[in-house]
Amino acid sequence: MDSVENVNVHTRLRTLQPESEYRFELDRGTSLAIKLVTGHAEIFGAEMADGKTYLFGQECKAAIFTWHGCTLEITGHPSVDYDSEETPMVTYANVHMALEGMRVSALAAVHGSPLQEDDVDEKTGTEAPRVLVLGPENSGKTSVCKILTNYAVRMGQNWTPMLVNVDPSEGGWAIPGAISAAPIPAAIQTATPASPFGSVATSAPNHVASNALLPLSYWYGHAEMRRNPLLMDRLIRNLGENIRDKYESDPESHCSGLIVDTPSSFAASSGTGSDHRLTMIKACVDAFRINVILVVGHEKLSIEMQKTYGNRMRVLKIPKSGGVVELDQDYRERVHKYQLHNYFYGHVIEPPPGLSTKAYVQGGEQTPDLILHLSPSSTTVNFGDITIYRIGEETMAPNSALPIGAARVVSEVQPLLVDPSLSASGLYNAVLAILAPPNPDESERYDEEILDLHVVGYVVITALDMPNKRMTVLSPSPGSLVGKTAIVGSFEWQE
Amino acid sequence: MSLYPQSTAYTQLAYPAAQGYGAPLPPPNPYYAPPPVPQPYHVDPNVFRRDYITRLSNLTVNSRPIIQSLSMIAQDYSRFADVVVQCIEQHLRRVPPWMKLPSFYLLDAIAKNVYDPYARHFTPVVVRLFVDTYEAVDPTTRSKMEEMLLTWRTGAPDGRELFGVVPQLAIERHIWGSNSTQSTGNRGGSQSISQAQVLSELEFVLGQKERVLQSNPYDKATQSHVAILQQLRTLVQTGVSQGELGQILSQLRTLTTPPASSSPPPAPTPQSYPAPQSYSAPPGPPGPAAAPPAYPPQQSYPTSFEQPKAEPMDLSRLLASAGASMPSTSTAPAVPDIANLFSALVKAGVVPATTGANVAKVEETSAPADPAREAARAYRQLIRSHKVKLTSSDITRSRVPITEMLYDRLPTQCKQCSARFSDSPAGKKQFEDHLDMHFRQNRKASQAVGRGHSRSWFITMEDWVHGEVVDVKGKGRADGRIVNTKAAAAEEAAKRDAELRAMFVVVPPGDEAKPISCPICKEPLKSEFLEDDEEWVWRNAIKKDDRIYHATCHAEAIASKSSLASRLRNEASSRSRSRTPETRTPPKALATLNGDSGKSETPTPSRLAGMKRKAEDDSVGLGLIKGEEDAPQAKRIAT
Repeated sequence: MDSVENVNVHTRLRTLQPESEYRFELDRGTSLAIKLVTGHAEIFGAEMADGKTYLFGQECKAAIFTWHGCTLEITGHPSVDYDSEETPMVTYANVHMALEGMRVSALAAVHGSPLQEDDVDEKTGTEAPRVLVLGPENSGKTSVCKILTNYAVRMGQNWTPMLVNVDPSEGGWAIPGAISAAPIPAAIQTATPASPFGSVATSAPNHVASNALLPLSYWYGHAEMRRNPLLMDRLIRNLGENIRDKYESDPESHCSGLIVDTPSSFAASSGTGSDHRLTMIKACVDAFRINVILVVGHEKLSIEMQKTYGNRMRVLKIPKSGGVVELDQDYRERVHKYQLHNYFYGHVIEPPPGLSTKAYVQGGEQTPDLILHLSPSSTTVNFGDITIYRIGEETMAPNSALPIGAARVVSEVQPLLVDPSLSASGLYNAVLAILAPPNPDESERYDEEILDLHVVGYVVITALDMPNKRMTVLSPSPGSLVGKTAIVGSFEWQE
Repeated sequence: MSLYPQSTAYTQLAYPAAQGYGAPLPPPNPYYAPPPVPQPYHVDPNVFRRDYITRLSNLTVNSRPIIQSLSMIAQDYSRFADVVVQCIEQHLRRVPPWMKLPSFYLLDAIAKNVYDPYARHFTPVVVRLFVDTYEAVDPTTRSKMEEMLLTWRTGAPDGRELFGVVPQLAIERHIWGSNSTQSTGNRGGSQSISQAQVLSELEFVLGQKERVLQSNPYDKATQSHVAILQQLRTLVQTGVSQGELGQILSQLRTLTTPPASSSPPPAPTPQSYPAPQSYSAPPGPPGPAAAPPAYPPQQSYPTSFEQPKAEPMDLSRLLASAGASMPSTSTAPAVPDIANLFSALVKAGVVPATTGANVAKVEETSAPADPAREAARAYRQLIRSHKVKLTSSDITRSRVPITEMLYDRLPTQCKQCSARFSDSPAGKKQFEDHLDMHFRQNRKASQAVGRGHSRSWFITMEDWVHGEVVDVKGKGRADGRIVNTKAAAAEEAAKRDAELRAMFVVVPPGDEAKPISCPICKEPLKSEFLEDDEEWVWRNAIKKDDRIYHATCHAEAIASKSSLASRLRNEASSRSRSRTPETRTPPKALATLNGDSGKSETPTPSRLAGMKRKAEDDSVGLGLIKGEEDAPQAKRIAT
């Protein structure tokens, strides 16, 4: 079966059987280098280049799968690593082929090519696949999204599937608390859990297009969906509306389809979030015009979805991978920190001790030290230069917790002006989302407009100078912040 | 064969504008009709004839059910094709003019849907029948018949002339040709030569050669001539210069020696294009009449785009079948001119020196859209062949050749980042671009050493919605222009919107507190106090017929109303073929349309200042919107 052969004390060769995978989990501060020696292998659907050494870090937990069988040269010491022959990859590949069938039918319909009876699905017609991936915590939703997206872009058909992340605790491309969408032109690489879906563009040159993505981002500001479901609902619909606009401006682009990764709270059958989850799922179904629901490893939810949506779309339960790791809250918080750090400063993974080569790739990039170190800019502005809002009350008790008959004084989605000069403003170390400028025409503005503005970037207030009414702001790139509108959420970050 | 093909074909006739890629035609069975279902009655042709005549006599009005049933009977009894044809011919000759059109529709339906054997049975009679009928009927019916005739150009299942090129040309020349045959009679004439003219002459010569080849399948010289002519046709279809067209045409004309009339009449083989008895090869050059003004030359053969490989395939099939069904008889009609023609063209640089089977190559260089579509089609076939349904059983049980899809199908791999490309020329090009990209990025990275990088701000909504995916991989589309026009149009629209919203109506004194809502959207109008004029006004408002509307709602309503009206008008006018497609609005009009019509309806803010506005008459906007409606309309006719 598998053979493990030590080359030196740090490095070993490992042979994988066809359709099996090598799983590893890294501890804090360690890294791992893996080189494909023979055969073919892929990381969550992204193929590995032969003979290149891939680095993994920041507590990455991943798996390298092979359809053909392969030999890997592994350097470093993961806390856990093992091989597994039980993977759901065959099912995922079948799902991918089914989605691919929908894509070609959609493209044929756009081109006006003759369709066969077979091309028109009784539930989805000739629509491109718009997939909602649901599942409980630790079921591998994100990995499923990544594999399906990567397989689509690897078909050589110039598909650029739209990947949507509505899980605010994950952060997607930007930072935690955001929900965003981005068209994916190239296979998404895996190196750190901080960038599960590739990275946002920097001023540096990139070799892999998925490391220079241009997402459309809205700021929810909290990790938990139940914190403000009303706001979440609104942002999801905003995102969906803009994706529709994009499709309309280029009809062929919509043929690649769309894949939505969701928070686990959508699937929670109990707990405080459960009352809102059906509303949230409905918001997603409507906003993104979902026509396929994939439920990862949750029988009950899949039956529930089948009952609710089964008459007008495909609802399918798919197995979860046995390699999924139980992640605790501490781990998630550390990943949030990594994400914020990487957003501003980038991150270069230290190669593991004993790695013989200096030529390694991180997330597909060949010269990580040259391009993955980022320099944010720190500026000092007057309190009045940035208008800062908070959406809803800072501590929002759920409606059910209010005294009977009592109405909320402040609505959940009401923007409240935050005064930095108050010591209780809570702005120190707070993460702010800088919003796109509001409508230039004043008559067109409305009270809640800032809820519908997308984000142009995220900043952190690193210092407040109360006597002089000035604050120091760390922003990703140079650029004046004067006159900008910002929203503060519940995330804080300290270097 | 499908059960109700008639209905589709019939719809095409009634609305010829929508006709074109008539894909739902039944698959042709080019040589033998399927064995008819044995029937206990109608065994006797005479009984069948009586019955069919009786049924035909019911066809006095344009009734789809009757035509359908008659057509289906014809399909079922295709062994009595000659009887059906005779019946229809007799019927057509006997009935009064106002009853002729339905019978022609029947003829059309049968010939198109039960192509074999009916098309070739009709071929000998159709020219006379059409011409005689045409002369007997009124102008309305004539235009209907012309529409039908145009559909015959591509009516055969392989996208060619329904009754063969010769009858088609004969009818067309008779109907449209009288006024234009003279002009090309003078050969040295300096008239511009249309592509369609050359094509139709080419088709004619090609038809002659193919018939020669049918009667004599082992004639190598003719075989190569046909191949060359077919290549020439492809070349002309993809577009050559005026001078080259002239050259080809003059060479072709030297070939129009009458081989068809001198060669022995072709044996009655079951081939697609037997020479009609009633028609002898034209002694003179077939005139440009083949291109009536109502028909854009470049769209004469719309199917050539759809089936770029159809001709060579057809020929080989033709050759094979002819070879199988006929013994060799060696009569080699000497037509050396074609070889001369071809070598002359090669010398002139019209035809690339690499000849023969390189048709595909020619197409690829001159029509870049084709290979991409072709590749997409091939990919679709591949995916279809591994159909997986989104059901639990399918996704757990099927075994798709996923490694083939992900790896083997795309054998060229980038060593740097593992991206894969196909082996096709297009794939090779993509791979080259991809390697260039790596090179550029590496150079940039080394040049930027010591200079700090930073995370970019996100792009604006406008760029996100309208922007293409950043083309780092060198795979994207190169039509930045379209993106710009879209952005420009959106900008225009935004500007117009802002102007509309800046409009206001002064609130009559005393009405400040009165709530008032827009009759269109039912939303209340917001009043505000204008400091400069010291007046209360309703913002984004417009007064029309003593009612106050939102200016934006009103503009929208006008736009939709006028475009509907113009669409209706165009629908009506498109029924007649009088419009020439040359007047088509360039598609550019689409992009600028929003801005223009907006300007015409919306005053500039300066003109607006402090002025109470009434909506302008919407006729200006109407005319402009008509331009938009024109473009797709013309396109539909052309197909």
